[in-house]
Amino acid sequence: MAKRGKLEIMRDILTMVQSNRNYMRPTPLLRKSKMTTARFKEYYSELTLRGLLKEVTDEHQDRFLMVTDKGFRFLERYRTIVDFIDEFEL
Amino acid sequence: MRPPIEFLLPPELGIELLYSFVIVICSLMIYRATREMYELSSYKGIQYFRRAFLFFAIAYFFRYSIKYLIFFFNLQEIIELNPHAIGNLSLFIFLYSSFMAMFYLLYSVMWKKWSHTPIKVLLINSAALLLAFLGVISHSQEMSIFLNAALLVAISFVFSKAYHESHNKEKGKGLYFIYFLLVLFWILNIIDILLPRFLHIYQIGIYLVSTFLFMAILYKVLKRSGN
Repeated sequence: MAKRGKLEIMRDILTMVQSNRNYMRPTPLLRKSKMTTARFKEYYSELTLRGLLKEVTDEHQDRFLMVTDKGFRFLERYRTIVDFIDEFEL
Repeated sequence: MRPPIEFLLPPELGIELLYSFVIVICSLMIYRATREMYELSSYKGIQYFRRAFLFFAIAYFFRYSIKYLIFFFNLQEIIELNPHAIGNLSLFIFLYSSFMAMFYLLYSVMWKKWSHTPIKVLLINSAALLLAFLGVISHSQEMSIFLNAALLVAISFVFSKAYHESHNKEKGKGLYFIYFLLVLFWILNIIDILLPRFLHIYQIGIYLVSTFLFMAILYKVLKRSGN
């Protein structure tokens, strides 16, 4: 159940960035995610490490987050993945 | 005039080859169909589920297919192969992969309850290696039946526990029943290979039911994975 929650949180974070024209600063994302900083960092590094989210720096050296192609594919397949986990009780 | 097919391949060997081919293909298709879901989610349950079917494919490849490959490609003429050593080695790999497949199938439904530590995986691997070794060196009927019966009891216990703790009893019922049958027929397969005469009369039935179970799981996987 805990792990299912994890997939849901991952989807929520990616959806937040996607719905913000796929360009979002980390601080507003943290605020919107309603998570503690430590927990947010954990998900943030996991999402970037897995290549679902990427960090870009603009000309003013400001950091932004973007959903990658793999991240979009995750969002597309999210329902199928969750149904599969449910079906096989994984 | 072309020789009849029976001349090329005795019927019982043909059935074994077809059976092993279907199991290997079904298992590899399950492994392949779940790849993207695992790559996207890195979900541990999917990873263990995939590993179970990869081990099933390895087990069946080494149970039957390898001897046909050696036979068809005339490998024994190219390299000097000792049939006894090849037989024991493929039996060892078959037994080890079978035990690992059963372990990963169990682990895919129980991983949230069992803490994951490398030492546990090492212990399970060692136990599978030991059981495979015992299977190869022991030619005692009682020993083989005892080991496999103990394995079946242990696995049935875990599946029944998993079912009772399942959050969706209605859905879980059919799934655990399929898993239980799969394990049961897998163990009958192991007994069949260790003691060929013991279940000879039921062999075709075991093959048919095992094939049907694999195809049922494959159907469910393909349907649910959107393939």
